[in-house]
Amino acid sequence: MSTIYTVKDLKKTYRVGDVATEALRGIDLKIEQGEFTAIAGPSGSGKSTLLHLMGALDTPSSGEVWLSGRRIDRLAKPPSAQLRLWNIGFVFQAYNLIPVMSALENAAFVLELQGVGRRERESKALQALAALDMAEFADRRPNQLSGGQQQRVAVARALAADPQIILADEPTANLDSETGQSLIHYMQRLNTEQGVTFVFSTHDPRLLNQVTRIIRIEDGRIVQEEPVQAA
Amino acid sequence: MLTLAWRNLWRQRRRSLVTAGAVGTVVTLSILYYSLGGASTNSMYQSLTEGTGQIQVHVTGYRDLREFGTLLIEGAESVRAMIEASADGAEVIGVLEVPSLLAGEDRSRGIVLSGQDWTPALLDRFIDQSLSAGRFLEEDEFEGIVLGEALANALEVGLGDEVFAYAPGTEGFGAAAYTVVGLLDLLDANYEGRAAFIPLGAAQELAAPGAVTRFELHYPELVRLDQDTKIATVRDELRASLNDYSVESWQELNPSLVRLLDAIGPMMAALNIIFFILAGLLVINTIYLSLMERIHEFGIIISLGANGRKVMSMITLESVLLCVTGAVVGTGAGLAGVAYLSRGFTFPGLEEYYASFGLNPVFYASITPKQVLFSIAFALATGILAALWPASMAARLEPVEAMRFTT
Repeated sequence: MSTIYTVKDLKKTYRVGDVATEALRGIDLKIEQGEFTAIAGPSGSGKSTLLHLMGALDTPSSGEVWLSGRRIDRLAKPPSAQLRLWNIGFVFQAYNLIPVMSALENAAFVLELQGVGRRERESKALQALAALDMAEFADRRPNQLSGGQQQRVAVARALAADPQIILADEPTANLDSETGQSLIHYMQRLNTEQGVTFVFSTHDPRLLNQVTRIIRIEDGRIVQEEPVQAA
Repeated sequence: MLTLAWRNLWRQRRRSLVTAGAVGTVVTLSILYYSLGGASTNSMYQSLTEGTGQIQVHVTGYRDLREFGTLLIEGAESVRAMIEASADGAEVIGVLEVPSLLAGEDRSRGIVLSGQDWTPALLDRFIDQSLSAGRFLEEDEFEGIVLGEALANALEVGLGDEVFAYAPGTEGFGAAAYTVVGLLDLLDANYEGRAAFIPLGAAQELAAPGAVTRFELHYPELVRLDQDTKIATVRDELRASLNDYSVESWQELNPSLVRLLDAIGPMMAALNIIFFILAGLLVINTIYLSLMERIHEFGIIISLGANGRKVMSMITLESVLLCVTGAVVGTGAGLAGVAYLSRGFTFPGLEEYYASFGLNPVFYASITPKQVLFSIAFALATGILAALWPASMAARLEPVEAMRFTT
């Protein structure tokens, strides 16, 4: 397995006026290809911040983030957008689908940003939806889908562009038990069958029970790294 | 992206419709405004060129000459033939203006007696507009004269009375008696006090056999300013063939009016720009509100990998689409209005006012394709410019902060 992510002494401090809040206080970790890893911790522990920094959505106060041998923590806006577009898939807690687009159009959106032609992107998006058993809902708008279905469309959107890694920020937080379990099952299947690398931020025990590795952080520090285990 | 932009506009249907309607109204007004400007310009052009012709030929340096004899174009018929050979399609009118003393039984006045031939169309219009009593002259009617009413009053003569013209020091008979056959009610009261018309042949017999003081070239098919494209070429060709004469276009004959006509275009453009700025402010408002409502959504789009340029183009596309929709509807409405007004219209209550300036009080709206394109281009530019600020704002959004944003 090759290393996808290397994070070195990563720190992030937010400042509001004179008040400084240290969200991350020096994180070191590595993510290998094919992992199904969770960054776990209570609310406010810094797990979402870590995920944002790994996804080049934000810049750290200090430290380094390397993605496939490329340093990404100090990128300017255009190259960081390019990086996200071509290398990273995102799944957000609140689904974050575009309400005026159908499930198929949402799933194809990243491909559209990449400039992929209509026929090809719709074919890929439909494949991704099918992998999540959502093909039959391809024409529906987000408001015509349940929360679990919307989150599956969001995963399909992340998956369709074939990224190196999918970063999922509390993907099951808004889902009921059964729907959450079902989504985990789908993502797990993508991991084992297609080798898609997932990194989650979560404190959902259903998800924590299924991942192959758990990195626990508290107050911006890694407090425990549970050994990799078979899912 | 076009579909996405269209759907986004329909999210706030009412607001988008109001804004597109405002843009459409401005485009309609712009087209109507251009067409009314065109109507006024064409009316001025038509009135002016009917009076002076599109081109005039005089002796060289005629503006500085005072002696009647030095103003004469001798051998007028051969010069006319040369003009007609060079100016295909022109109706050539010879005019001989003779400084004369015109006398009734008890009173007399110094005037410029105008002998000229007429084109049938010009004569019909002149009779329609100006003849108040009697009739106009036949071409070979050497004993008749038509006077302005004011001149007739000053001379204390009426229809059927005799007047005597004296043109001493000329090469013709120098004196002649005429019977008043018609009276003219002219728009310009001063001119009416000096206006006296006889046929060209009669004037030549009186003062200058075989000569004229000018030729006018009339192109009756040219009724709009934008049709006036060949006049400069004809003038140059005439200048080349008539070396000994002064050849001037109507623009050179009426420089002050040309300056006025030249100013109309920029004035209309300036007012149009003001219209579109006002519409643009409404578009900015719509696009800005739409952006504020979708900050979170743009945060997602940026997170997924859209760069600033892409985000800007998405917002600009929405703005342009809004304006183009308005422009299409507005152009349709505007052109329908122009089609209706092109059949002729008057400004109620202003007929006499326009007539006092020698303008035809019936206006015919007209617009050029260029002006229609100009209005549409203005709408497009409004769409692009109105999007610049909100679009650049969206392009600078930080994805994490934008995703946290709630309305």
